Parts: sequence; C-alpha cells; structure tokens
Amino acid sequence: MRLSVAAAISHGRVYRRFGLSPRSRLDLLRNLVTALVRHERIETPWARADEMRGYAERLIDYAKRGDKDERAMRMADFWLTEKDLIHKLFKVLAPRFQPHPGSYTRLLQIPNRDGLDRAKMAVIELKGNPLPPLVRPRRDSDKTLLNQLLKGYRQDAQRAAAA
Amino acid sequence: VLVLVRSPLPRLRALLQRCWGRLERGLWPSVFGGQSPPWGAALAVQGLALVPQGINDAEAPSLLESVVWMAAPKHRRTIEVNRCRRRNPNKLIEVKRNIDVCPECGNLKQKHVLCGYCYAKVKEETRLIRMEIYKKEGGPFNTPTVETVVLYEGEKPTEKDEGKRIIERARKRPSWFVQN
Repeated sequence: MRLSVAAAISHGRVYRRFGLSPRSRLDLLRNLVTALVRHERIETPWARADEMRGYAERLIDYAKRGDKDERAMRMADFWLTEKDLIHKLFKVLAPRFQPHPGSYTRLLQIPNRDGLDRAKMAVIELKGNPLPPLVRPRRDSDKTLLNQLLKGYRQDAQRAAAA
Repeated sequence: VLVLVRSPLPRLRALLQRCWGRLERGLWPSVFGGQSPPWGAALAVQGLALVPQGINDAEAPSLLESVVWMAAPKHRRTIEVNRCRRRNPNKLIEVKRNIDVCPECGNLKQKHVLCGYCYAKVKEETRLIRMEIYKKEGGPFNTPTVETVVLYEGEKPTEKDEGKRIIERARKRPSWFVQN
C-alpha cells in the first residue's frame, strides 16, 4: 500500500509554482495584486494573471465587509504593499462592486510576447475601470436569419396593431 | 599524592581545587564513597571489524567486468528510413485553423486572442491617460479615494460624473472609446 505520493506526480494540485519558494510565490502575486489595484489594468504572463485573479477577487470580497472589520483590514494590509491603495480599495472598489455578487475581474489573452520567450500573455483588468475598453461588444448584423425573422415579426405586429 | 599549587589568585586556586576534587572522586570512587556510581566493566568494541581482505590480493579487474555496456546503433539508417521518420505527420507542425479576421481593423487574429493591432491602439491610449494621471497626482503614492473619469476635448462632466476626479485628454474622442 502506497502511503506517500511518488515524486513528479501532482494530481489534484491547484496552485502553480512560481518564483524561488512558496513565500516568493506569494510575494510575486502580492506585487501583481498591488499593481492591479493601482492601475486597474495590467499585462502579465497568463499563468500569473490566472493565479492572481483568485487572490484579487477574494481581497475585494474581504473589502466588501467594510473597513471596520479587523480581518478585512489585516488582509488588505498584507496584500497591498502600497498603503495608499488600502484607502482606494475600501472607498472606491468596495462600493463599485457592492451590487456584483462575484467576478470583478476580466482576463483576456493577448498575442504572445515579442521577446525571445514568446510567453503566453494576458491582460487582467477590474470591471468598471475608467480606461478605454479592450473589447467592444458586437451586435449581430441585421442580415442574419434570426434578425430578419424578428424584423418580420415586428412588422407584422405593427401592421396588426395599426389595423 | 600531594601537589602544591601556588597561585596568587584565590579564584584560580578554588577552581583548581574543585577540578582536583572531581578528578580524585573519579579515580577513587570507593574512597569518597557513594557520590558517584561505581564504574563497571565496559564491553570494548572493536571498530571496523569488517576489513576488506581482498584489496591487496585482487589483481587488475578484467575488461569484461568493469566496463558498463550501453546501446549503440549497429547499422546506418538510410535516407529513406530517415525521411519516413522526419516527415511522419506527428512530427510536422500542426496547421492552425483558429485564425480569423478582426471585424474592427481587418487584421488577422486568433479566435480566442485579442487582435494585436486593436490592443496596441488601446495600450497607447491607456499609456497617455496614465501620463495625465501621473501629472495630476504629482508624485508617487497619491492615489485619490474617488473614482476617475476621462474626458476628451469639448466634453462636459455629466451628472453621473458627480464626485469623480476628471482626467482631461487633449484630443478628439476616438470612435472606439464610447462614453458611458
């Protein structure tokens, strides 16, 4: 009976490995979270953005509790290395995301980095930021079958209402 | 055994007396009675009982025993066989079928990736907005505690932009940046 897992098997492990050690991984993610709260849109390798996304959203959930909460303040103090961002988190981001139940960030993939490593890059942004939008929501053209059928139905309804 | 130790310092003499007393007690435990446990006979263990005998006796090992056998190709692979291996479909680069045309600018893009040209446009505009923000803030660590709104030339803040910080950009509003 195998009592310990063999080396090089990582079934079910959810956390990626970054940096030099687990503490270094947390520091790296902490820097990214601070940058996201400061600039509201950052461009980083996709794996780091994906890993950081969970931590950022949980931090906003903590911030929604209010700044009187002891645990929320301790979390914000650890995760945001620049202390003026704690004010921004509790006074700007928490009210902005109060109506939303979850998913405060948007993660989109970008063409690979230009350097030698051609890394898979992503841009992660907080929803509702004042910067120009990355993706414009496209409405279907009027010539599609469904839209033409709906147009015909609307015209029929108007004729029936006029008559 | 009498040892005369003449030392000028009383502390050193006391220390020497204590050491000598401890030594005497260790050497003649029966004399000073009952203070230290009697030493019994201890088993003397001989270290390194396993002395390899055959080192000096063995002659030089024969070639067949010391050489490690490794695999090596026996025959030359012909160019036909090599071509079959190199051009096998699993070795060729996969054809990408997820390339589309961006509806905004007409450049090619992968379906699940943002268009490179449109993203470069947005990135440049974001950089200019951030420069304006930096100029307005003046220094590092001056993040305001209110929301921000970006206004272009000739635009007035609406009633939705009541308590927000206004960032002015000295150009016409681009068509892809829709004002909310």
